[in-house]
Amino acid sequence: MTNTSTQGPAMTSGTDPATFTIIRNSLLKATEEMKIVLAKTAFSPVLKVAGDYSCGIFDAKGRMVAQGPDLPVHLGSMPVAVTAVARAFDGDIHDGDIFIHNDPYQGGTHLPDVNVVTPAFHEGRLLGFACLRAHWPDVGGDTPGSYGTVTSIFGEGLRLPPVRLYSKGQPQRDVHAIITANVRTPDERMGDLNAQVAANTRACTRLGALAERYGTDLLIAVMEDILDYSEKLMRMRLAELPDGDAVFEDWLDGDGILEKGQTSDEVIHIRMRLEKSGQDIRVDFDGSAAKVAGPINAPLAVTASGVYCAFKMIIDPDNLIPANSGAWRAISIAAPEGSVVNAEYPSPVVYANTEMSHRVCDMVFGAAAAFWPRNVMACSQGTSGVVTFGGSDPSSGRSYVSYEVVKGGMGARPGKDGINAICAGIANTMNTPVEIVELSFPLRVERYEIVEDSGGPGQFRGGLGVRRSWRVLGGQSNATVCFERTIAPPFGVCGGDDAAPAMVRVVDPEGRETPLNSKQSVALAPGWIVDVIAPGGGGYGPVGDRDPAAIQRDLRENYISAESARSAYSAGPDAS
Amino acid sequence: MWRIGVDIGGTFTDVAVIDEGGSAIGLAKTATTQDDFSRGVMEGLRDALSRHEIVPSEVSLLAHATTVVTNALLEEKGARAALVTTRGFRDVLELRRSARAALYDLFQDPPSVLIPRHRRLEVSERVSARGEIVTPLDREDAERIIGQLRAMDVEAVAITLLFSFLNDSHERALGKMIRDALPHLKVYLSCEILPEVQEFERTSTTAVCAYVGPLLDSYLSELQDATERLGLPKLRVMGSAGGVVDVPEALRMPAAIVESGPAAGVMAARLMGQQTGRETLLSFDMGGTTAKACLILDGKVETTAEYEVGGSGNQNRWLHGTGHAIRVPVIDLAEVSAGGGSIAWLDRAGALQVGPHSAGADPGPACYGRGGDHPTVTDANLVLGYLDGASLLGGQMDIDKQASIQALTDRIATPLGQTPREAAAAILRIVNHSMAEALRIVSVERGHDPRQFGLIAFGGAGPLHAAALAEELDMPEVIVPPIPGGFSALGLVGSDIRRDYARTLYADLASLEPGEAEAIWQEMEADGRAMLQQTGIDENRWSVQRSAGLRYSRQAYELDVPYDQARSTTEGFDALAKAFHDVHQQTYGHHNPNEPVHLMTLRLTVTGALPPLELRQDSTTGMDSLKGRRTVWFERTGEVDCAIHDRARMQPGETITGPAVVESYDSTIVVPPGWKAVNDERGCICMERRT
Repeated sequence: MTNTSTQGPAMTSGTDPATFTIIRNSLLKATEEMKIVLAKTAFSPVLKVAGDYSCGIFDAKGRMVAQGPDLPVHLGSMPVAVTAVARAFDGDIHDGDIFIHNDPYQGGTHLPDVNVVTPAFHEGRLLGFACLRAHWPDVGGDTPGSYGTVTSIFGEGLRLPPVRLYSKGQPQRDVHAIITANVRTPDERMGDLNAQVAANTRACTRLGALAERYGTDLLIAVMEDILDYSEKLMRMRLAELPDGDAVFEDWLDGDGILEKGQTSDEVIHIRMRLEKSGQDIRVDFDGSAAKVAGPINAPLAVTASGVYCAFKMIIDPDNLIPANSGAWRAISIAAPEGSVVNAEYPSPVVYANTEMSHRVCDMVFGAAAAFWPRNVMACSQGTSGVVTFGGSDPSSGRSYVSYEVVKGGMGARPGKDGINAICAGIANTMNTPVEIVELSFPLRVERYEIVEDSGGPGQFRGGLGVRRSWRVLGGQSNATVCFERTIAPPFGVCGGDDAAPAMVRVVDPEGRETPLNSKQSVALAPGWIVDVIAPGGGGYGPVGDRDPAAIQRDLRENYISAESARSAYSAGPDAS
Repeated sequence: MWRIGVDIGGTFTDVAVIDEGGSAIGLAKTATTQDDFSRGVMEGLRDALSRHEIVPSEVSLLAHATTVVTNALLEEKGARAALVTTRGFRDVLELRRSARAALYDLFQDPPSVLIPRHRRLEVSERVSARGEIVTPLDREDAERIIGQLRAMDVEAVAITLLFSFLNDSHERALGKMIRDALPHLKVYLSCEILPEVQEFERTSTTAVCAYVGPLLDSYLSELQDATERLGLPKLRVMGSAGGVVDVPEALRMPAAIVESGPAAGVMAARLMGQQTGRETLLSFDMGGTTAKACLILDGKVETTAEYEVGGSGNQNRWLHGTGHAIRVPVIDLAEVSAGGGSIAWLDRAGALQVGPHSAGADPGPACYGRGGDHPTVTDANLVLGYLDGASLLGGQMDIDKQASIQALTDRIATPLGQTPREAAAAILRIVNHSMAEALRIVSVERGHDPRQFGLIAFGGAGPLHAAALAEELDMPEVIVPPIPGGFSALGLVGSDIRRDYARTLYADLASLEPGEAEAIWQEMEADGRAMLQQTGIDENRWSVQRSAGLRYSRQAYELDVPYDQARSTTEGFDALAKAFHDVHQQTYGHHNPNEPVHLMTLRLTVTGALPPLELRQDSTTGMDSLKGRRTVWFERTGEVDCAIHDRARMQPGETITGPAVVESYDSTIVVPPGWKAVNDERGCICMERRT
């Protein structure tokens, strides 16, 4: 609660302090209300129970003014997506229009993330937009769940550039027809889409009410002020942190494409240089691998989201700086065009949203550990751990697509162990309850548990990873996994050790195990099992500095084995 | 005959007594005894009995709101408990729903795990999603578990097996084996606690019961013994859903009394609404640190089954993982961290913020002179003249207004280039706006227009802010009940005896065989009638309400829709589906009549209504209520010379025209310009906008 300013936030609107705070809070509340409507009325489990979506309010130029308590991975890319709509229809946006698009080359992330963008008007003036980005469990393509190992964006499913879903209040039936013809479970998708539309309508109603109450000009001016306010807070905090310059390198497991004669995937090199000087941050990916054949090429906005998320956690752990487009002005990102961190059309991209964003976020912590050791955590699970199943349910005759993500451990922190089994970094989705999975799909979950010894040892131990196994029950099922960290494990920082790597495999009905590539699709007969481990987080600080009492606690709880206590921690069973 | 309600708060234990015949209300306050709550309860009871010359045999109802369960969870002082799950799932309690509570907080801690991993055991067995047994219960495994439980020396055990809500035979068999072998153990089965889908929520609810059950048992048993020794009737406990239950029911389902106190407040609001002929109200309860809003529609209070104890669930509605999930009906409150103690501060960029930090009672607002140098909402109220040194806390405390001005000047006004009064007004605008958001959540967001509602305001600070909130939401009327500071205790004496039942029945509504639902509903009803039989409440005061938790077949959240017919029929279910589409449209702004409607949960509530009360105001002293004048600032008029009234001296029917301030021992009512306040015959002050 220190006060370093003498005259309030830079206010071009000239409004009073109370009105500024009230409008800012109201915009945030509106995004929360969007979230409620979406979650409670969407159809697919990935939305309604897992919460894989983000809600935002944008100004008329498409800049994000408020984001709900949603997914950090959408921080960087949603504004680009809304800006694409504002540009594509500049001068041709009307009350009652609703736009849809999912094009990763126009601010989308990957095709399954579908943006619904609704302009808000008051007395004929465009106030801004509401955008609800939701992950659809399927948008077509060759593989159920649209998560296949393809080599072009055209193989990934239906790509919609910004188009009208509604025009002046009238549904555009032709666009709806194109969508329903191209996705596997069309009536479920329409349920999700209706929920997205309804959620945006709520936000636009609230924007209209704010304009009515405070005046359109003032509302628009305060939206501008809110961006400047975030920038100011960000820069003030940066100015207090020491300058530094560090390089961090890491390797991805691969892109899922095995060339002829290959038996294992080729790792992909990422190099990041992080420079902090005064109130500015520069992140440069020069030296990172060129684009790859498989779908792990990240659109620049996805790369940026990973970077922004890490800095928000480093700079503003109390979440006092509104996450909006203004907050990122102090951060500049350079990535070579056509590299794996700046995708070039028509490279496939679907894995990058979940995997590259995690990677980039963890790498920022790894690089910043060199000069901000008290503000970083070790590498977290580092993968979204996507597992999808698709096929036809013999009991209902209906086709189904199940999309789940498996969450491992959080990286260890200065002064604290990492949290077990939790979303860390760029994601914050919920798991799908076992009983909901089994009621919805012909699958049986055989195990869902914390994995002993999976956290990286250190003065502070990484959070533990998670194992989950599904048995296919009826009919053939096409299973796809998309994992990272099966080869390069989550790293420790400041002297902490690495965590155990991820594991993906299938088990036949006789119990014979076959490892899978980190990204692979397989057709499974009934009785087969998909068995995965989402890894734990890396350790923080030298393992020799760990409190013996913490080691004994970990032993008692089976967080570590007796073997690991001896070998990794040089501690025996409790002698005291 | 008399009814007595006892409400334990953080600072005071309130005892409300009411005469069923004459309906005179009395309130006694004693200090809450944190080390042993029952001591303060007994002191308050003896005090109230002697002051009102009540013979214990003339008491017809003794109801209690307790924070024992919540405190045990918050302070992690519950029992040494164990958990038994299906093999492969012992970590369900720790895996939670995997989302983190704070998006960007690098240093956050997850909620504690009530049952640590070394006391979580697994048994070989499996029931499928169709309720069929896939793997029979392994008896040898069960014997091994019994041995482990014995060795662990636990007080309670929770058993939650997958799909036990569809087929409970394994859970019951295992429970019986454990009960037979270890009769001293308290055993909680998830199929009895919460026969509903979603293993984490079911396990968490059952684990909460096991964790707090032993403690609650000793507390309630001792208190019941002590009150019986005084000659008082059977002790009853306020449940989170707003009905009172007997002690055995509270012990069967300890998770159902976590929001005992707040529920009592809402039930008091409902009672007062009924007394004054208002069936549709928003209730607003504001104390020192939080403000709570609730919707009362046609005399009914909505409940929700999505709740986390000890978390910020009510404040950050959509962040999971802040506390311990329980899935039993809880009064559907919206809560914000805003109260008299909320601190106003400038962030680093100079923007004015109010809360969520509170100065609490110690050091308290700057004006308390206990070393608090941060300006609070109370300081702002003092500087603007709404509060007065002589009226705050009944004048029992020295109030330093100069300290308020100083804190406001140094920390807010000077940096912003404002006067202290401008800064105070800005603070109130912000805090009022965030409290209005809580009222919006329970009304506008659910498709109800607050302009049709009266606002009933209580809690120590509620009446101070009520008119400003009503203006913010364009509400026509504010009601301030008698004794707003001890109002919750009144809810205890006016609440009906109630028990809620729920069971998952997973079925497509259109093809459901009515007899299947009917059998479940009747089973619940028979149990409920047996419970009411024991209360002695006359049968013509019983009521049974059936409802169904419905959703579109692929949604994840249900809406609870009343089923008004006496028996289950196909036509009745058709009407139920239609009602669901309507409620969906009202709640979320869209519906889909072509989509199949899915039944998730059958619910039934039995209620035994107590005889109605007729509240009246005690006679007043007959003196003029005007006790003085002071300068008060209002947004519309600026500073005015304002009449100050003493509530205790207001006559029935007396009307006061704003601007005015009405003071009483436990709260202050602000009547802004443009409002008038009438003291009705029940002692409620009803404010209306004149324009």
